[in-house]
Amino acid sequence: MNQTTSSVSIRGLDLHFGSVKVLTDLDIEIGEGEFLVLLGSSGCGKSTLLNCIAGLLDVSGGEIHIKGRNVTWDEPKDRGIGMVFQSYALYPQMTVRGNLSFGLKQAKVAKSEIESRVKRAAEVLQIEALLERKPAQLSGGQRQRVAIGRALVRDVDVFLFDEPLSNLDAKLRASLRVEIKRLHQQLHNTMIYVTHDQIEAMTLADRIAIMKDGAVQQLGTPHEIYSSPVNRYVAAFIGSPSMNFFSGSLSGDNFVSDTMTLSMDRYAFDGTGRQNGRVELGVRPEHVACDEAARDMPFQVEVDVDVVEPMGSDTQVWGSLQGEEFRFRVDGQSTLKTGDKVLVGIDPARTCLFDMTTELRL
Amino acid sequence: MSHESATQHRSTPLLIATSAFIFIWLIVAAFPFFWTMWGSFKIQADFFSKSDWSNAVTGVNTTARYGHAFTGVAYEGAWVQQDFWRAAVNSLIVTVSVVVISLTFGTLGGYALARSTARYAFALLIVALIFRAMPHITLVSGYLLPFFKLNIWGYLPTAIIVLVAINQPFTLWMLRSFFMNVPRELDESALVDGCTRGQAFCYVIMPVMWPGVITTGLFSFLLAYNDFAVTATILNQHNQTMVPKIASFLGTTQTEGNVMFAVASVVSATAPLFVLVLVFQRNIVSGLTAGAVKG
Repeated sequence: MNQTTSSVSIRGLDLHFGSVKVLTDLDIEIGEGEFLVLLGSSGCGKSTLLNCIAGLLDVSGGEIHIKGRNVTWDEPKDRGIGMVFQSYALYPQMTVRGNLSFGLKQAKVAKSEIESRVKRAAEVLQIEALLERKPAQLSGGQRQRVAIGRALVRDVDVFLFDEPLSNLDAKLRASLRVEIKRLHQQLHNTMIYVTHDQIEAMTLADRIAIMKDGAVQQLGTPHEIYSSPVNRYVAAFIGSPSMNFFSGSLSGDNFVSDTMTLSMDRYAFDGTGRQNGRVELGVRPEHVACDEAARDMPFQVEVDVDVVEPMGSDTQVWGSLQGEEFRFRVDGQSTLKTGDKVLVGIDPARTCLFDMTTELRL
Repeated sequence: MSHESATQHRSTPLLIATSAFIFIWLIVAAFPFFWTMWGSFKIQADFFSKSDWSNAVTGVNTTARYGHAFTGVAYEGAWVQQDFWRAAVNSLIVTVSVVVISLTFGTLGGYALARSTARYAFALLIVALIFRAMPHITLVSGYLLPFFKLNIWGYLPTAIIVLVAINQPFTLWMLRSFFMNVPRELDESALVDGCTRGQAFCYVIMPVMWPGVITTGLFSFLLAYNDFAVTATILNQHNQTMVPKIASFLGTTQTEGNVMFAVASVVSATAPLFVLVLVFQRNIVSGLTAGAVKG
């Protein structure tokens, strides 16, 4: 993948509706052929940002460049983008073929060219048999395929996806997710994908931008976001079940709280240094060792089991550590039950420390 | 399937009771119209007989005068002698114009109001609603003096303008709610696909809107077609539409036979409505439900 040239470049983007600031001073560079996922809870501005890139919303300040061209005030059709909407937004009165060729007819593409592009897109998406049907006669998954096809035939540089899988059931979502990934590997187009589903984000993205209140919290590879979240919000947002947080303080090399004292000498501190003070310790449930495995861990503690949730492949345990909630994950074969006491172990190297006031990672 | 078995399980007395109710209701509802239609082929001495009401059914006097129980003399009198055809043409001009003008502004305005995020959009709708809630006659009385001064009183275009003014708030509301049910993503999708706003409206939004346009158009048609308050006060004798013309027949009952002109014209004026509703019934039903239930 060539990421030296940037495909989409967002520079100091501002958007406000009256006095309500939706996006503030956003800077994102998206490389050629990159798959960028905008991830965040609802109302964080991710769809708004996508609409700005598409040209469906007028920005209040800043610039958007696509392929090195300033398109900030261009019409959507002149930006070289294709867009896939959450509600599919197929034209109900047209057949699938009509839906796919509508944009090309608008652009006055030659008939034979339209024919061949529609054929190619239909092959890629395996909807050849559906070409003469109306959208009402299609299932949700088929409709979304057609919606993707409509973006595909336009032969554009940048694909925008606005929560394309949110209206589908879990099984279909998983299979279409793989198809989108395969499509990206096949086409090498730049794709910007908005979702609130972290599994989609983790599986699809080259890079993820986690958004909150109209600002990007962290922009990085899925691995970076997962293992070294820059702040408490990102840490809590990524991972399911979410991270355990214990408040305490840092004194020298030790994290000290009412219930535990951990030596943090193996912890990879961030560049900002390790000043002492009030901190929070974050521990991912899946990084907690249990029973026998716990004995090898640098820190061990006994936990009461409150609720056990078997999920098949593994089991989530909601325990408590002297009144503080403590979630962890054990093997699906585990025989833990409510009321048990179990020894758990934590490796400080895999934990996260956050400053209590700034909420930034230490 | 389940529907059929459900009806089978329903008890016979209940079935009889409901059928009887519907039958009676149908007669009560339809009787006045059929009575009028039947009577329109009689003469006044039969249909308005003071001695025996059954004359209206048997047509004794009609047979005595014309040798047959049915006669078209009332229709001939109304349409030919009394120039009811001119009123019919006027009605056609007025209703078609009102429908076309209301729908043109209604679709454009309704679309704009449905898509607008501006705060004044809703305020406009509320003002429109208040305007619609006023009795038509209050508007007419306000218009009369300026119309006299401008010397435009009595002409068809004047009545058309007033009727559009009365009807426009309703079409705006109705069409706006239809447009609200067309997802915004459809517009956006068309914009991305290379349309301008105008093309998106024409090629993508309007084709989906036909049920709404037809339903709204039909209600507009009925308002213009059935209007009395505006047409009776604004139009002069020569330019009268059907409804005030019928009223003027009724107002001159001293002359023998005039009331029968009214009866014949009422039947003539009602017939097109039946045809219209029958032709568009599918669209009306789907339009009404599409407006009411969010897809």
